[in-house]
Amino acid sequence: MPTDLSQAADARTFRPSPHAKRGGLRAGQGRFGVMLLLPALIAFSLIVLSPFVQALGLSLYKYTISTPEPIFVGLANFKKLLADPTVRGSFVTTAVYVFFTTFFSITLGLAWAIILNEPFKGRNALRGISLLPWIMPATVSAFIFGWIFNSRYGVLNAVAMEFGFIEHPQAWLSTTSGAMTAIVMVKVWLSIPLFMSFFLAGLASMDREQIEAARVDGAGNYNVLKDHILPHLRPVILVVVVLGMIGNLQQFDSIYALTGGGPVRATSVLSVEVYRRAFEQWDIGMAATIGVLWVATILPPAYFYLRQLMKGAE
Amino acid sequence: MRHFFKKAAGVVTAAALTAGAASADTVEFMNWLGAEETGKDTLAQMVASFDGEVDIQPYAWGDLPKNLFLRARSKTLPDVSQIQGRMLPTFASIGEMVDLNEVIGKEKLQEIFPASFLAMGDIDGKQLALPWIGGTIGWVANMEVLEAAGVAEIPTTVDEFKAALIAVRDNVPNSVPYALATKNNNSILLDYLIWSWTFGSDVIVDGKPMVNGPEGKATLAFLTELVQERMAAPEIDRPDSRRLFAQGASAFYLDAPVARTFARKFSGRDMEIDPAVKPIQGPVLNAGDTPQSIQWGHVIAIFGEENATPDSDAVKFVMHLLSDDVLVDYASNQGVLPTTKNGLASDAINGDAYLKDWAAASVAPRRNTIASLENGGEVAGIIGEEVQSAILGQKTPDQAADDMQARLEAAMAN
Repeated sequence: MPTDLSQAADARTFRPSPHAKRGGLRAGQGRFGVMLLLPALIAFSLIVLSPFVQALGLSLYKYTISTPEPIFVGLANFKKLLADPTVRGSFVTTAVYVFFTTFFSITLGLAWAIILNEPFKGRNALRGISLLPWIMPATVSAFIFGWIFNSRYGVLNAVAMEFGFIEHPQAWLSTTSGAMTAIVMVKVWLSIPLFMSFFLAGLASMDREQIEAARVDGAGNYNVLKDHILPHLRPVILVVVVLGMIGNLQQFDSIYALTGGGPVRATSVLSVEVYRRAFEQWDIGMAATIGVLWVATILPPAYFYLRQLMKGAE
Repeated sequence: MRHFFKKAAGVVTAAALTAGAASADTVEFMNWLGAEETGKDTLAQMVASFDGEVDIQPYAWGDLPKNLFLRARSKTLPDVSQIQGRMLPTFASIGEMVDLNEVIGKEKLQEIFPASFLAMGDIDGKQLALPWIGGTIGWVANMEVLEAAGVAEIPTTVDEFKAALIAVRDNVPNSVPYALATKNNNSILLDYLIWSWTFGSDVIVDGKPMVNGPEGKATLAFLTELVQERMAAPEIDRPDSRRLFAQGASAFYLDAPVARTFARKFSGRDMEIDPAVKPIQGPVLNAGDTPQSIQWGHVIAIFGEENATPDSDAVKFVMHLLSDDVLVDYASNQGVLPTTKNGLASDAINGDAYLKDWAAASVAPRRNTIASLENGGEVAGIIGEEVQSAILGQKTPDQAADDMQARLEAAMAN
């Protein structure tokens, strides 16, 4: 009941429409936002959330080809896996793989971006060509590298024998270090264009006059890189490191196509281990358990990445 | 908008009904034959001569088991599937396979198939699959390579075999004298089993692993020596072996009778290479020992209660595949043995010297004891990894044998 005459007049003049929703304009905006999000939320729930929740559930069950219905075993799968030295080995292999692929992808991507940021004839063509490895399917790249390293017909052996470095063809992919080097090389080869693009975008916003001034003051290439380029690219580097780590933790296709996780278990990263458990040993419960642990390793960098994004948005 | 949704719902319903109607009349046949260059046309002919609709669903050989597994889990199994004989015990636990003793009759099946082949599809007294083609995993020699190496006689003992390998290594440039499987655990397993039996190790005894006895250690030491001395090579899987053999870069390898078909295809010489492809008895440790080989074959299984009647299209299609003309054509085309009595007695099979030699070389084939284990995949993985660790020099053969024993004991205790 209005106590003031002016309030009473306002209420009469601006009476809300009978079609107006409760909560006013702000709530209407909120509902509109939810509606816009809804398709993405539905797709996310169906494609990502639902399989993940199912996998989470399956990790608590014994579910092999000989058990038509899953049998609840609680945390037994986790207990068994954590006591299994081969699975612990897969975590180490994954860490080694992620470290080297992320490090070399970023270092070489940055170096290539700095080169392509310099003005020279044919730069645009070279930038375009540089994207080719990124466009190429990962398995195709893996097979190309497979042929380079092939013990009988490989280019590497042919060149090494031609120059007299080796007497007999070497089975490069049959040594622990050789196989790891090969899968890292493939991933680095695939990742350089993407990281290069990130760095090029970062370099585009850099004030060239600042670098020229530094050079006038006598700064060499190293000092320009250390004191000007790297500080300027710091936010980009942060995002690229996190994205690189997440991508490398998820990598499967190029590794499986090139080495199948071998020799022995030298390149059996977590993704390969999940595949082996599910489709070579027919043990869905164990595969789901490794998958859950695998997701747990991806969560910290993913959280960090999202936090950076939110900060940027604010 | 409302009309649009009504129309869309109508279209979806009609599509679902049409698909349902089509699937009711069509036999879904999952197979790897149609995915292979050597079998694609043959399968198309077999299907074309069937009086009914067949949906050929080809998968690569290595992909079929996992797709069958996934389809079992999603309850979308096909009507009929080709399955490796050794994998049948694993897939029998899916529980959707039709017992053909109930549908066709045990007596009738015994009339059609010899008992040895019929046993391939028998799981605990139920006939869950019918044998299609059969034979053994045995030794095959490339006579042209042996001639080029100056090896006049087929080796019969392990010592003679090693001498022949050295001759090939030293006289045939860029050769892999014995294309031993050294990559892919499932391929390694077959070579390992044959050599373990040859050296007197049974691998599994009364359901327990026995791989680190003197015989088991001798097996790994022998395989390691072959690789270290370049009589065999790393990074070889069965498909690589077939190519090396067909291209005159390998003298020996282990395969099913389809070896000749692959040799024809991969050599580019078709039947011209036939005289060079010779099935041989496996080398034995001591003269008089039994040459080793492994039972091998493909079976056909029918899934689903709706197909469990003699007049179902699925049963009719399977019996069509096993009919005399169709089966004999297929078997002779692939260079393998048909599994029916009539097929085995046919002129086309009896007149094939290669198949006769193959049968003669397979003295006493043994079952792949690993494949029938509940966790056969895991066991094969352990064996493959430990064999690799020995032949690649990551462990001594003795250490690899001890580790293999320990890991197998743990895996088989679960």
